[in-house]
Amino acid sequence: MKPEILPPLTATVRVRRAGWRHGVRLWLPLFLIWLLLVPLLILLLPLLFVGALIFGINLWRSLKALNGVLAATHGTHVEVDRGDTKFFIRLH
Amino acid sequence: MNDSRRQILDMLAQGKITADEAERLLAAVERSPAQEGETVKYLRVLVDANDEHEGPTKVNVRVPMQLLRAGVRLTGIIPARARDQVNDALRKEGIPFDINNLTPQNLEEMVEHLRDLTVDVDNEHAKVRVFCE
Repeated sequence: MKPEILPPLTATVRVRRAGWRHGVRLWLPLFLIWLLLVPLLILLLPLLFVGALIFGINLWRSLKALNGVLAATHGTHVEVDRGDTKFFIRLH
Repeated sequence: MNDSRRQILDMLAQGKITADEAERLLAAVERSPAQEGETVKYLRVLVDANDEHEGPTKVNVRVPMQLLRAGVRLTGIIPARARDQVNDALRKEGIPFDINNLTPQNLEEMVEHLRDLTVDVDNEHAKVRVFCE
């Protein structure tokens, strides 16, 4: 499986509860969240750099590893059916 | 045709199993973990529980194996003194495991062995199935 480079860009969420006429079906553009987080990350970079120096962590490797974890969640699928409540989420 | 299917059909031909049993076995083989030569892509967890107070619950989780690989890379950024503390804590709990041994190479070997992993728990309250595909 070719490793993904970017975190999941979208998510599909479906929720249905007993008594609801229709379930809720959402398509979430996760890429907008990542776009919002990038400027925040840039602002925090100096602090992260200082923290990495104090704790002896390689900042670049850490960020790369965190990105790898996020990117690896592509294809995650969780479905829970409790009888009266159904919940489904899938990351694309 | 893979070995499992061939074996099932041979048993049917020899009369060792009935047609119904062969059908069930073939269906199980088709749902089975990743076959030889295929890379293991996902870890699946299926739970079908029936609690007398909370009612029936079904859970279906699919997690990419890539997440496991990425998680191992995270251990690479743990500072040395923190790793020693983690190893000490593991030893105190009676787990003789050194997290320094958790490398991408060792992990690939472990993932290969996970290909054959199947956990089936079946009791009156719940059925749990864990496998790789």
